[in-house]
Order: sequence, then structure tokens, then C-alpha cells
Amino acid sequence: MNFWEKAQKVDRRVLYAILIFFVCGGLFFPATIPVDPDPSSKSFYSEIKKLNPEKVVLIQSDWTNSTRGESMGHFENLMRLLMSQNIKFVFYSAADPVAPQVARTVITRINKEREGQGLRVYKAGVDYLDLGYFPNAEATNTNMGNNLREAWKGRKARVDGREVDIFATPVLGNVKKIEDAGMMIVVTASASIDVAIQRLAKRVPIMGLVTGVVGPGVLPFYQSGQLKGVAIGLKGVYDVEYMMANGINVKPGGEGKAKVEWDGNNGAEVPPVTEGKTLARGQQYYGTLHVALVLLILAVVMGNVSMFMARRRQGEEA
Amino acid sequence: MNLTQWLPLAQTTENFWRKMPGSTDLYIWLGVGLLLGFGILFLLSMVPSHLRRWVVVTFTFLAGLPYVLAYLWPKPIAMDVATQLPNPGEQVGFLINAAIDPVGKLTNILQGFLLGVGIFSLLRVHSMKIKRKAENYGFSMVLIVCFITMATVGFGDWTTRTFQDPQGLLNDPVNWGFFNRANDLLFEGIYQQMDAAMFSMIAFFILSAAFRAFRIRSVEATVMMASALILMLNLMGALTFVWGNAIDGLAAQTGNTFLLNFKLTEMANWLRSNMQIPAIRAIDFGVGLGALAMGLRLWLGLERGGVSA
Repeated sequence: MNFWEKAQKVDRRVLYAILIFFVCGGLFFPATIPVDPDPSSKSFYSEIKKLNPEKVVLIQSDWTNSTRGESMGHFENLMRLLMSQNIKFVFYSAADPVAPQVARTVITRINKEREGQGLRVYKAGVDYLDLGYFPNAEATNTNMGNNLREAWKGRKARVDGREVDIFATPVLGNVKKIEDAGMMIVVTASASIDVAIQRLAKRVPIMGLVTGVVGPGVLPFYQSGQLKGVAIGLKGVYDVEYMMANGINVKPGGEGKAKVEWDGNNGAEVPPVTEGKTLARGQQYYGTLHVALVLLILAVVMGNVSMFMARRRQGEEA
Repeated sequence: MNLTQWLPLAQTTENFWRKMPGSTDLYIWLGVGLLLGFGILFLLSMVPSHLRRWVVVTFTFLAGLPYVLAYLWPKPIAMDVATQLPNPGEQVGFLINAAIDPVGKLTNILQGFLLGVGIFSLLRVHSMKIKRKAENYGFSMVLIVCFITMATVGFGDWTTRTFQDPQGLLNDPVNWGFFNRANDLLFEGIYQQMDAAMFSMIAFFILSAAFRAFRIRSVEATVMMASALILMLNLMGALTFVWGNAIDGLAAQTGNTFLLNFKLTEMANWLRSNMQIPAIRAIDFGVGLGALAMGLRLWLGLERGGVSA
């Protein structure tokens, strides 16, 4: 039995050990890797930076820890972006009862991070609202489009120790219908974004922060303009972080070449985020993604080469 | 006949669909609704089996009707219904629009009931397994113990936060009590981490499958592998940066701008825009047409599966 035949019969545990070793190793060496963000990520960042601070953003947070490698980075970036622009937001889930608690944990952590940096802490009931879980995404999104006040009627927020109707808070006080919101952003690892687009895209601009698996399925909506921007997978997390750090079409020191170039949006400059953390979870994981992809490509190549070599040997023996 | 009296839009206080919280009317309606619900359940249980299919078909049709009508009926324009009496067509439009919310909420409530049915079924099946000491009944015991512990701790955490902490002091872990700590340990410390660990196992299967199963045996497999390779390489920022700079340099050196098309990002975007997205759109069209046909068959009671008694 030669090397290639042995390679074909390698124990799967050896493959698993190689994966664990290289992937875990990558986590300890976060590096700022230059990247050309996807056009859909550039649209996402550009649209976020154009948001009117007077208008509330609706966040449908449908992810849980099963996809935290991607979705948590997306959600953290979104929080940092909105908080750096003083934009009020509402979050809820229409896909998973666990999702609101996962989002709450992230918001608490980002708030602590901001507190440590001497930045303004977002206050529940004043700067953002937590509406919890709505079962049945189809009916929930349809109702939101039909009559937002009726769809969210009865939900309360706690402000200074008192229970207050959410429409009596500074967050939703001026919102009478969904068209009054500045943007709806769906953070998801499932097709719940399709449901939202189908029911609400005509009424409110929608953007997405999705996992790599869901990404290809939502790109037709981006190409058709039903989705204003979408960041996909771990690369999408890093794309957004890289733009938060460097902006779009912004030349360092006003000269030379911009780190992120884009001819969309009439080639206009989109400024970077000037407060708080920018490169974070995406930066930490992006090197690991490189390692994992190289391993995957090597596995495919090795698998095929060993197959061809084994066949050749069999042919020679015959 | 003036249908606007039925509309929540017409009246900001009370209407047929909505009673004021705490009002006597609300409690009367709750009582009537409860009695009506039990009565309907009793009557449903008495329905002969040959008629049950028609009960299911009728309820399915009624549940879908507001959504279909809302889509097909001309949308009423915004108007002050207190001063401008809409014409009959518009009145029906308003009524249909107003029905969407209660019907939607009803389906939400039904989904809540389904959760209850699921819990009941889970407990019943596993209790029976334990009672009969069936094979692997130990796992059933673990499941029930975990279920009860998680529910108790979660409920304890929720009640302390909702009713005993108006100032939000429990947002700081220093002030946590037993239930808060236990919930954090079970939910954040164990459940959430296991959730993430389970999903991450996919990476192992993908690597193993890439090594053993992804074989170039045909032209189609070769094309697919080449496309996948370009898209995967495009995910590596370090590589696209180096490759892109090399192509830029070469294009500048030779003056041949056509070379710029061979940047990894360009090739990946071309593949996405001209191959992947049209293919997905075509699949979506097919799925959409299939869903429409299936939806119509279910709504009109033409589908035998799922509605038989």
C-alpha cells in the first residue's frame, strides 16, 4: 500500500485533529487583514451611515448561539454602528424564543464596553426597546405592515422602574406606522428574512445580516433592490468591521489610495466610525476562516489526487 | 348598513375586535369566549368522523380568507372615517384590513397552544417510557429532570426580574440571587454553549466529506469545483489583496485593462451575479409556484393529506 492509498484510508479522527489544531491556533493570532468588502456589504455600511438619527431602526433578531460565530459578530457590529450614531432601535424575534435573550446578552456586553471607554450607555426604554418574542413570523410581519400599533399593542417597557406602554416611550413615541421607521434590519440564520422581505419590503427599507449558508438565497433580493444591503457570513462581519475602521473611499491623510474603494453611491466618501471599538470579533475569526478554507481546499485536492493515483496504480497492475 | 362601526380604525376606544383593558365588557367577552371555546371543543369532539374533514376544511378556508381578500380587494385609501363616510366597496376594504390583525394574533395564540401541546406530548411519551422501564428510559429521566429544572429556574429568574426588581438592579450580576445565578449557569453557561458546540460539529463533517466525497468524476463536477474554488478563495482577504495587487501591477505594466477581469473579487462577483443569483431566482420561482399551488389546494380543501379525520 503506497502513500496515496494510505491517504485514502486515513482515519477521520486524524482529519478532525488537524482541523482542531489549525482552527484553534488561528484564534490566538488576530490580524488586520486587508480586504475588499463585497458590494452588498458596502451597500449595507453606506446605508447605515446614511440613517436619520431621528428615526427608529427595527431589528428582527432571529439568531441564536448555534450560529454565533457569524451572527454574534453581525449583531455586535450593528449595535456599535447604531450606538455610535445615537440611533434608537427596537429589537424582537419572530423565529426563535431563545433569540431575544441572546440579543440582550450582547447589548449588555456592548454597553459595558462603551462604559469602559467613557461612551454613552444605551438605556432600555429610552434608547432602545426589547419587545421579546413573537411566534409565527408570517402573521407577525403581515400585522406589522398592516398596523404596527395594533401588532405591538400591549407590549410594555420598563422606564425608571415604571411599566410604560412602548408607544409612550421616546423610542416609538413618533411611530404610528411601519413607514415611520428609518430601516428594518434582519439578523438571521434562517429564511425569516425572506418572510420579512415578502411582507414589508414595500413599506420600509430592509437590510440583512445573515450567515454564509443563508447568504446566496438572499442575494436575488439584493440584486432586485428589495434588500438595500446585506453582509454575509464571517467575511461579511469582517467587511463591516473593516469599513467601520477605514470608511469607504476615504483616503488616509487625504492622499493616496483609499483602503476601501467603491464606485457605488456615486463614489461618495462614507466616513469610518470614530468612537469605540471597530475591529473586533470579525478580526479575531477572519484569520481562522483563512486557515479553515485552506484546509478544506487541501482536503479536496488531496482526496482527488489520491483517488487518481490509486486508480493509476490499479491500471498499471492490471 | 354602515360597516365602519366594526372597524378599530374608526374608533380609538372600543370596537368589536377590541375591548378596553380592565373594562367590564372585556371580562364579559373573556367569559363568553371561554364558554364558547369549551362549547366548540365539546361540539367538535361530538362530530361524526365522516364530517370531521369538512370541519377542518371549513376552518382552513375561513382562516385563509382574510389574507386572500386583503390581497385581492382594492386597498382603501387613508381617510378620516369619523367625518368621511366611505362607500360600500371601501367599507369592505377597511373591514378586511381590520380583520388581518385579529386573525394574525389568533394564529400567534394558536402557535402558543402548539407549544403547550408539544410539551404535553413530550412529557407524556417520556413519562410512559419511565413507567414501563422501556429501553434507554434513563435518557427520558434526564430529559424530564432537565426540563423541570430549566423551567423552574427560568420562571424564577423571570419573576424576580419582572416583579421584584423595578429599578433594574439585577442587570448587575453582583445583585443576583439564587434563581438568577442558576439561570445564568444553565442557560448561558450550559445550554447556549452546547447549542454552539452542536452546530460547530458540522465543520468536522464538511472536512471529512471534502476529503472523501468531493470527487472530480465528470465535467459538471469539475465546473462546480472550479466555481466553488473561486468563491472560497474570494473569501480570503489576504489572498484577494495580494492577487488583486499583482493583477493591478500587471495591467499597469502591459496597459491591458482586460486583465483586471481576472481579479478574484471580479471573478467571484461575476459568478455570483451571472450564475448563482439567476439560478437561485429560477429555483425560487419554481418553489413559489409550487407553494402557491399547494397553498391553494390546502385552502380550498383539495389536498387529501393533512385534512383527513
